[in-house]
Amino acid sequence: MSLTRSTSADGAILTVQIKGKFDFNLVQSFRQAYADLNDNIDKVVIDLRETDYMDSSALGMLLNMKKNLTGKVETIQISNCQPQLKKILQISRFDKKFDID
Amino acid sequence: MLNILVVDDLALNRRLLTVMLEQQGYRVYTAENGLVALNLLEEHTIDIVLLDVIMPVMDGFETAAIIKERFSQVYLPIIFITSLEDEASFERCLAVGGDDFLHKPFQEVILNAKIKAHSRIRNLSQKAREQNLQLEYHQNQVEREHEIVEHIFNNALENQQSFPKHLDFHLSPAAMFNGDMFLVAQSPLGSLYCMLGDFTGHGLAAAVGALPASRVFYTMVSKGMSVSDIAAEINSVLGKLLPGHMFCAATIIELSSTGKSISAWLGGLPDTYIINQSGEVIRTLESQHMALGILEEDEFERALIHIEVEDTCRIVMATDGIIETTSPHDEYFGEHRFKKVLASKPAISTEQVLERVNKFARGSKQQDDLSLVLLNCLPMREPEQKSEPLSALPFNFSLSLNSKQIKSTDPVLEVVDVISKVAGLNAHRANIFLILSEAYNNALDHGVLGLDSEIKNQEDGFLIYYQQREEALANLTDALIIIDIRYCPEELALYFTVCDSGNGFSKEQANQQSLAREHGRGLCLLGEVASKVTFNSAGNQVEIYYQLTASSTSSH
Repeated sequence: MSLTRSTSADGAILTVQIKGKFDFNLVQSFRQAYADLNDNIDKVVIDLRETDYMDSSALGMLLNMKKNLTGKVETIQISNCQPQLKKILQISRFDKKFDID
Repeated sequence: MLNILVVDDLALNRRLLTVMLEQQGYRVYTAENGLVALNLLEEHTIDIVLLDVIMPVMDGFETAAIIKERFSQVYLPIIFITSLEDEASFERCLAVGGDDFLHKPFQEVILNAKIKAHSRIRNLSQKAREQNLQLEYHQNQVEREHEIVEHIFNNALENQQSFPKHLDFHLSPAAMFNGDMFLVAQSPLGSLYCMLGDFTGHGLAAAVGALPASRVFYTMVSKGMSVSDIAAEINSVLGKLLPGHMFCAATIIELSSTGKSISAWLGGLPDTYIINQSGEVIRTLESQHMALGILEEDEFERALIHIEVEDTCRIVMATDGIIETTSPHDEYFGEHRFKKVLASKPAISTEQVLERVNKFARGSKQQDDLSLVLLNCLPMREPEQKSEPLSALPFNFSLSLNSKQIKSTDPVLEVVDVISKVAGLNAHRANIFLILSEAYNNALDHGVLGLDSEIKNQEDGFLIYYQQREEALANLTDALIIIDIRYCPEELALYFTVCDSGNGFSKEQANQQSLAREHGRGLCLLGEVASKVTFNSAGNQVEIYYQLTASSTSSH
């Protein structure tokens, strides 16, 4: 379980990548990942390509982030979901609130 | 010691020559006619033949011709010793392969001089022959090695041809030996990864780096890792492996499974273009980083470029071969001409582009490392999921956690790892995790610790909630959580029972939870993923029934 953040070469996209399990253990580091965003950033990508597991606390954290970033960035995208996690996001109607790639 | 064969039908002549030559320290063999001489030549290594012309059985002319034919590998001098003086005879001696003449009667000193001269030539010829053999051996060796390397790489470069709708690429057959490498693979999530690399140098040395790079690429793509992770890992592997002056300029691109976005790491190759339907360049992606294999791990730059693309877009990647192709007038093909060719017709193929490049180069030395990749930004087919058949054995799993264990461990993932070992359950592990995580955390947070989720509604409630949880956990004594999991192969089902020593909660509380709210989503989600969720009346035990059908792994 770990979280890494990286900014694209042009500085406009922040990517937060979560490896392993996405649950309440990440509550602090996830909150910090999008705190103090640079003004250049207009898109935040939550890259779940290496996320194997998530539970409802992850959903809560994503919603918190959305609340916090609304008005600060143009898009929040959840990308590269593994099929079972995509289904969890769909069940939770997250496809209505986030851009799920 | 030099071996000399004297061929003369007259015993006296043979005797005379033998004495003369033996005095000089040569070993002498004698034959009375050509046929005997040929036999001796087969049995012994002869360095020089002194040949009479007129002999019975087989004369000198015939003998010389046969000797020259049989012993052609190394110069074997034939000196005719003859009393014939007519020009026609001389000519004939030369024509059949004679190397020199000596007229009878002859002076000993002249004979010796000729023998020395011809033996020197024979020595040189022998050396040349040895060197040729060595050269041939090495050439064969190199050829065999090339074949082996080609074989290895053909096997190493998997599935290059597996995506004909998406990819049109050209690499010369000997590309590996020019250091050009093209790798393609699809991740479990469906996205398509391409890597075009150009190793410094040529030949085997350049090809050597391709093998570990391709292994890293395929392994990491099969795990669906990010382009920047792949670039960083290949950089580190090549850095450790290659000598300092060798590196690999590369472009690594991931096209998302929807075909709508690309992520690219660009290190040292010429510009990558995104072209539209009519072939016009709508975006130029310039190299951002140093080539792979140069920077230390901690200096490595991982930054990617992310771009949204349309399904009519194509991505054009090339090594420097194309733009550096020169015309007979020493003019470079260059980027300008390259772009013009790309826009010269819609949906141009690599073959058509290269035809134009070769036409430009006509007459001048041909480039053989024209590597070009055209990637169509189309949605990917979902990768095939290999599903392992479910075990026929009815496994049971039971775990009782006391307060010490509850405090010091986070048991959910460990339990999931154990359960997933049962054949066929690994495909369901994300759902198993979700079910166990919700049930366990519900038991712990609300059952054992008695926390109230309402806190989460406050500003920064999430953080406060988990701080309270930590405190409560630290003070926990006399608690018990029991996890029971039953796998029923007949029903294709998993039964989970999670029971805690807490006071339970009322059903009304459970019913209030809704997906629309920022918390309490857990039990609702549980109800959606599992087929049935039942609490006991005390509210301290939950039973969950999960159906192991294939549909649970599908994304639709």
